[in-house]
Amino acid sequence: MIRLKNIKKSFGKQMVLKGIDLTVEKGEVVVILGPSGSGKTTLLRCINFLERADSGAITIGDLSVDCHRATKKEILALRRKTAMVFQHYNLFKHKTVLENVMEGLVVVQKWPVERAKERSLQILEKVGLSQQIDMYPSQLSGGQQQRVGIARALALNPEVILFDEPTSALDPELVGEVLSVIQKIAREGITMIVVTHEMGFARDISDHVVFMDNGVVVEEGKPNEIFHAPKEERTKQFLKRITPEWRYSI
Amino acid sequence: MNIDFRFIVTAFFEIMKALPLTLVITTVPLLIGFAIGIGTALIRLYKVKVIYKIADFYVSFLRGTPLILHIYIVYLGLPLLFDVLAEKWGWSIRSNSIPLIVFVFVAFSLNAGAYMSEIIRSGILAVNKGEIEAAYSIGMTTSQAMKRIVLPQALMISLPNLCNMFVGLLHGSSLAFSISLMELNGKANVVASTNWKFLESFIAAAVIYWGMTILAEKVTAILEKRLRMFIKGGVA
Amino acid sequence: MGKSFDLNLVFDFLPKLLSYLHITLLILVGAVLIGLLVGFLAALPRIYNIPVLRTLSAIYVSFIRGTPILIQLFLVYYGLPELLKTIQIDVTHMSSLVFVIITYGFSIGALFSEIIRAAVSAVDRGQTEAAYAIGMTPIAAFVRIVLPQALTIAFPNFANLVISYLKDTSLAFYIGVMDMTGRGQTLGTATNHFLEVYISLAIIYYAVCILLEKCFSLLETRMLRYERQFPVSQ
Repeated sequence: MIRLKNIKKSFGKQMVLKGIDLTVEKGEVVVILGPSGSGKTTLLRCINFLERADSGAITIGDLSVDCHRATKKEILALRRKTAMVFQHYNLFKHKTVLENVMEGLVVVQKWPVERAKERSLQILEKVGLSQQIDMYPSQLSGGQQQRVGIARALALNPEVILFDEPTSALDPELVGEVLSVIQKIAREGITMIVVTHEMGFARDISDHVVFMDNGVVVEEGKPNEIFHAPKEERTKQFLKRITPEWRYSI
Repeated sequence: MNIDFRFIVTAFFEIMKALPLTLVITTVPLLIGFAIGIGTALIRLYKVKVIYKIADFYVSFLRGTPLILHIYIVYLGLPLLFDVLAEKWGWSIRSNSIPLIVFVFVAFSLNAGAYMSEIIRSGILAVNKGEIEAAYSIGMTTSQAMKRIVLPQALMISLPNLCNMFVGLLHGSSLAFSISLMELNGKANVVASTNWKFLESFIAAAVIYWGMTILAEKVTAILEKRLRMFIKGGVA
Repeated sequence: MGKSFDLNLVFDFLPKLLSYLHITLLILVGAVLIGLLVGFLAALPRIYNIPVLRTLSAIYVSFIRGTPILIQLFLVYYGLPELLKTIQIDVTHMSSLVFVIITYGFSIGALFSEIIRAAVSAVDRGQTEAAYAIGMTPIAAFVRIVLPQALTIAFPNFANLVISYLKDTSLAFYIGVMDMTGRGQTLGTATNHFLEVYISLAIIYYAVCILLEKCFSLLETRMLRYERQFPVSQ
């Protein structure tokens, strides 16, 4: 289980997160929606301390961390329970597809190379990249790169995978292949927190939807409630503006 | 014009004998300087307390002063320092037993270290910040991320500049003759003055330096081409 | 050498050496001016792909990049009089200062030409096309659109080059020029305190380098004003 308590974060004078509370049950897929600048990505990055929140507490499984006082050791421990899929993939350019996936297992989790390789190959097969294992990231399409990014996160068997707008840097025709991979692993019961702009996809995979605006959680609930019967005016506005797109998205 | 072309050939082979020494005083400082460069770059990037100020000054001062002065100051200053320390710690050797080449190694290494720290630093800064975040996101420590993700790429990015550094040191080594080390230029000066054929000797020396430089550039180009395979990619 | 180190002498030497700074700067300025001219001329055949001249220019650049400046200095010092003798010009009484300025000018020129060439090819091709599209002639497009942008791109490299040649002027004393370092040699011989002289020289060169860097970076920010980024309001 993951619990965020009263997370606050400012950049300079601007308060980006104004006290966020969020609970994610094991195996749950939570989608965070909201207009750009609402703080969704910052929230995600606070969970694995790529940004340090100014205050608040983060609990993942048996580990609780006070954001303000977190030590290096605690941050590291937290990061080892999470994994992230980035908007711009952020693959290690100097390593092959296989090496990218193995890296965390070998270096962080100290697996023997042979075993790490075996697991990495399995995972790469799952994301449909068995043919590309010896290629470098620069030789792949955006969709393929993002699938490597997903495999890299998945290999670590983390308690939660954080997806930061995983398809927003992709050409439209490549979005589908990435979404279907995410959908596939969502069905396997892996806990996920997903920031996305793909509404159709969000509705299909989510167990729980959080709508954020201006640094606060405006509304949250089951996808059916949020998408079909939003209570808050801001949610309605947002969905109205964005809905026409989602028929085409998957 | 009064040029003895046959003597250029004679001088060429005579001066060539000094090539091994030139290569030694080029490569050894290159390697030591590389180590200094990495260390200094990391100290400055991580702003290690107090010493990063010293590192900043070291880089800026060495880059702001002529190499010839580095050689002279090391050549004259190091023995003084050495003798003071020798007296204090009761070493049995004195500075006059330090071979000349050591001064050249020290001066060139310090010089190369300052330049290389800048090269490596900009290489590190050129590595995509997202990859560092990715390394953290899979649970790597700062030093693991630096060692496994950042430095390998930074060095590859810096490779052309590091090769240029080799050429810079090769040319810089022509100043070692100022403390009477018989490298290419030193040898050329001797050949010139003993035969009273200055122009011919320096033409021969120039040809050797030029050849070495072109060779180094060719090797760099080949290395770069190989690296570009996966730095820039291009669909295979 | 021989005498013990005396820190006070370092400061005593400073004004004595500084009184020769203008010679050092004269060499630098003279060389940069020649270098700009030569560099520009050498860059043109390679930008416009003029056969023969292009090759000559490439060989010239390769030679300068391939040899130490000191060797170039010796070559000009011993070679130029021989060369000029063939066309009946006697330069045995020419000041060695002239040799230095010529050598350094041609040396800088080669590297300038490389910088100019790279900068011109770095200017977006679309700029030229846009200039043609509004009816400019090729020359007008080059002079009014490409060149100003190229100079801005080239400027940081140009500045670095000038600074690196400032340091190289310290080698002029090898052919007997009385610049700052040359004066240092005589001062060292006279007082037998070479180490102090060299430290003193290092301080001056360092100060001049920093001063030049500051001036260049001021100029650079002015040149780049059209690329200034405004803070994005959120």
